[in-house]
Amino acid sequence: MKPFRYARPGGVAEAVRSGAEQPGSRFLAGGTNLVDLMKLGVERPDLVVDVGGLGLDEIVVDSGGGLRIGANVRNSDLAVHPAVRRELPMLSQALLSGASGQLRNQATAAGNLLQRTRCVYFQDVSKPCNKREPGSGCPARQGDHRNLAVLGGSAACIATHPSDFAVALAAADAEVAVTGPAGERTLRLDELYLLPGEHPERETSLAPGDLITAIVVPPLPFGTTSAYRKVRDRASYAFAVASVAAAIDVTDGVVRDVRIALGAVAPKPWRAHRAEDALRGLEPTASAFRAAVEAELSVAEPLPDNAFKLPLTANVVVSVLSDLTGASR
Amino acid sequence: MTTPTQATTPAAARTRTPIGAPGRLENDAKGGVGTSPQRPDGALKVTGEFAYSSDLWMDNMLWGVTLRSPHPFARIRAVDIAAALATPGVVAVLTAADVPGRNVFGLELSDQPVLADDVVRYQGEAVALVAADHPEIARQAAKKIRVDYQVWEPITDARAALGHPTWNRLHDHPAEDVELSRSAAAIHPKGNLVRHLKIRKGDPDEAADVVVRGEYSVGMQDQAFLGPESGLAVPDGEGGVDLYVATQWLHVDQRQICTALGLTPDQVRLTLAGVGGAFGGREDLSMHVHGCMLALHTGKPVKMVYNREESFFGHVHRHPAEMRYEHGATRDGTLVFVNCDIYFDGGAYASSTPAVVGNGGTMGIGPYVVPNVRIDAYGVYTNNPPCGAMRGFGSVQTAFAYEAQMDLLAAELGMDPIDLRVRNAMAEGSVTPHGQTIDSPAPVAELLQRLREMPLPAEPDGADIDLRSLPGGVANSTHGEGVKRGVGYAVTYKNVAFSEGFDDYSTARVQIEAHQGNPLVVVHTAAAEVGQGLVTIEQQICRTELGVENVIVHPKNTDVGSGGSTSASRQTYMTGGAVKLACEAVRDRILTLARDRTDAPLDDAALVDGNIVTPSGAVLMSIADAIGEAVIEETREHHHRPTEEIDPETGQGFAHVQYSFSAHRAVVDVDTELGLLKVVELACVQDVGKALNADAVVGQIQGGSAQGMGLAIMEEIVVKDGKIRNPSFTDYLIPTILDTPPMPIQVLEYADPHAPYGLRGVGEAPTISSGPAVAAAIRQATGLPLTRVPIRPEHITGT
Repeated sequence: MKPFRYARPGGVAEAVRSGAEQPGSRFLAGGTNLVDLMKLGVERPDLVVDVGGLGLDEIVVDSGGGLRIGANVRNSDLAVHPAVRRELPMLSQALLSGASGQLRNQATAAGNLLQRTRCVYFQDVSKPCNKREPGSGCPARQGDHRNLAVLGGSAACIATHPSDFAVALAAADAEVAVTGPAGERTLRLDELYLLPGEHPERETSLAPGDLITAIVVPPLPFGTTSAYRKVRDRASYAFAVASVAAAIDVTDGVVRDVRIALGAVAPKPWRAHRAEDALRGLEPTASAFRAAVEAELSVAEPLPDNAFKLPLTANVVVSVLSDLTGASR
Repeated sequence: MTTPTQATTPAAARTRTPIGAPGRLENDAKGGVGTSPQRPDGALKVTGEFAYSSDLWMDNMLWGVTLRSPHPFARIRAVDIAAALATPGVVAVLTAADVPGRNVFGLELSDQPVLADDVVRYQGEAVALVAADHPEIARQAAKKIRVDYQVWEPITDARAALGHPTWNRLHDHPAEDVELSRSAAAIHPKGNLVRHLKIRKGDPDEAADVVVRGEYSVGMQDQAFLGPESGLAVPDGEGGVDLYVATQWLHVDQRQICTALGLTPDQVRLTLAGVGGAFGGREDLSMHVHGCMLALHTGKPVKMVYNREESFFGHVHRHPAEMRYEHGATRDGTLVFVNCDIYFDGGAYASSTPAVVGNGGTMGIGPYVVPNVRIDAYGVYTNNPPCGAMRGFGSVQTAFAYEAQMDLLAAELGMDPIDLRVRNAMAEGSVTPHGQTIDSPAPVAELLQRLREMPLPAEPDGADIDLRSLPGGVANSTHGEGVKRGVGYAVTYKNVAFSEGFDDYSTARVQIEAHQGNPLVVVHTAAAEVGQGLVTIEQQICRTELGVENVIVHPKNTDVGSGGSTSASRQTYMTGGAVKLACEAVRDRILTLARDRTDAPLDDAALVDGNIVTPSGAVLMSIADAIGEAVIEETREHHHRPTEEIDPETGQGFAHVQYSFSAHRAVVDVDTELGLLKVVELACVQDVGKALNADAVVGQIQGGSAQGMGLAIMEEIVVKDGKIRNPSFTDYLIPTILDTPPMPIQVLEYADPHAPYGLRGVGEAPTISSGPAVAAAIRQATGLPLTRVPIRPEHITGT
């Protein structure tokens, strides 16, 4: 591990200042991902700013059912919060399907969003990786890409985002509250996450010193009819091979509104707008669900060893929407 | 309980003893052979007080680090250590030129350099060593070593490495028809073939009513022990060294270290440090020579501990295998012939590949009677990670193939798969494909029939389903819709102890003296305790044979003769046998002393509960009184009955000492839409000859069953272009307790008359039959052929 300086700021402003002043600094919260990557030499910060003492650990439920989740709320605490379980079961389910009990006790909400990819080339400093070392190349297309992206990738990078929680948040239209050197602002998740394009090293729109202080989930009246499902190689705990977060509102026998986000298929949580648009106004049937998800996946660019994700993802979407609506399959 | 003075001086006494060096194991447990006393290291391990090899410590020690090759195949043009050596805190940087003796080691063939010289043959091969006063400084300095590599294209396919054709389709040319191409792209000077085992039995042209063919492949499994490779080398100031290390066979390590260091065995003394699991992965050397080199060079103790990532490169793995089988049978289901080709990818160095080929080949068709057999089993050098010993040792791979074939044949014949197996099952008196008559009980049919009679688990109830009981577990992946249940069976047999003419033995030293009026025994062997419970067995045997309660287990070291390897399911048989022999010699001497003190006839006397008693149970005198002030010590070797090398052309010969038999029934729920699995139950019936410790036997069967299941459904080291892609326990998945099903277990005890107490080695057989049973259950549920393990979601859903 590269030697680094360690700072424990007394407040958000001081944390932001420390982060902004030192290029290559990293905020440390639960440490479950950053510390591992530092041991591997993938992350090599000069300064680690420990934000664990800043509080930011409250969950506030507003009168409309919206949530403001402090950045440092532990995954375990968030998953069992009564309002989360009641209003947005998919959030709770996504959290509980991620990692192990010990990790969830340690990992934080904001840290979860900023996890780095599990791409094996990113994790191995002896190999080229455009995300880790811009311009060094990407061995994944010809190499091990079984769990890499079929959507949203680029010639430079096909890494997948590893979070389960972020997939459910994407379906819920969540935003993050950010405090930066220029003050406070909010970002929608699709503004937070960037697709790799020619710059896979840039994963988010956060600038040096930008600190996520909270996750804001707007009210979603039909969020009570939501679910998160995940396929993985080991039932007890493992990263996703394919996952889906979905919420659906069926009124008068037709789909009035629907939210679908896909995990483990793209460099960011993949909001399936195309599938959502295709479903609105239709009767909720398994064949309609399948046609919708196939429309979404029609733009996919699978490789030989990850092409299985297309039918698998379609099956997960159909199964979760069918369960939520009682459609027969 | 206090301990008396020791009769022998351990090697460690010659130098200072590190913190974390093993102590004598003693406890208040009671119980001899056939009971299940508490293990002497159990409480220490549960409370976290047990010192593992990574806990070793000396205040003035240095930390050693290994620089490894990032390339699977390359020539080393130059190594520049100047910048590393100039790093403050660095004490030594060593390369191949610094190896004091012969720069070579290896378990069976000496083909691997201690430090690469000229050529690296796999990613992770050790190139240079650094010692520094802090581990992080050593790691940073290692990165400053500049190695100039000329990178070559790696050879990563076992058949291509031999010049054999790739199996693009069924029924193309058998490998035997193709001339071996040893000169093409040779990884080693003598070519890429490590061993070709041939078995030729009966008539190769015999015709059958029904023939089934299949190709099967098995991925590379890791031993996944939790305690990483680690040890501490302490120089003695006189040119010798004491090494404390977690290993499986102290004396074979010592032999290889002496060769590499150019020292004699009395100069290289090994002590077994706390072992955190082994499963075959510690049979080969890891940090042993490296740590000793750094210690001798610097004159200071040197500790080395691999991290998890390095551990994946620091030990051998289970051989991946590609196999092609052809089974022929009569219409009534009697096997007529089996032909098979088996390729074991041995990776860059031989390790135990020759013996893996021997086991995989000789037992390559399973515990069935077949009159006509052709087997070609190959062990091959490639530029993949070296493969060697892992629990099941060659038999795990073939069992996946031959048991899938038996199911395929049963389906073709319209027969029940158990009926087909029972019809062809080996029994005592049967002859194996390598021409060996089974001369002890072989209850293959009974194992299967007992499994069939065990009640099946309940079908899932529609209401109130616990997510944990479903495929996908708590990931909420399925609520039970579209889930299909399958049931699969598999049976296997596995040799116990070392085979093919190897003079396999173990040594035990047993000492008894009277201490505070009670007899106290110290048992000293070099046989490695790796978690399996041998220390408990040693105590139990001493208690039974000498009639005493208090038995201390001496630290394992090279001050006593070889214990042989803790592998091949052999330690209870071999070291247990040696302890028994030593106890019998001690008992004779106790009775000799007793004769000086009594006129009573002692010819039929026994030692029971601390006393010398007559056959009718009358107490003649206490053992303590018989011993008086004497200290009795006896050392004995236990050799198993001789075996012989098999004929190189026909594969015939008395190759194996003993066989162990097990069978499994797996019940698996499969979500066929999402490719998810839940092993609902894994039942096992195993013949253990005699259960010396019933709890330990069940523990071995549970652990082995889980490890075999892991290979069937999740465990694989992903290797692309010769490089390991998942060297972490985040990406290399092993079953957790949540993935592990209930395991109803029946233990049979049909004594083997050739073995101590009639016992059979237990540890490996359940690892072999569990995975094929799980695979069979998934096939039954899905109707898919599933010829590769581990079975992944995409194999079930298709692409």
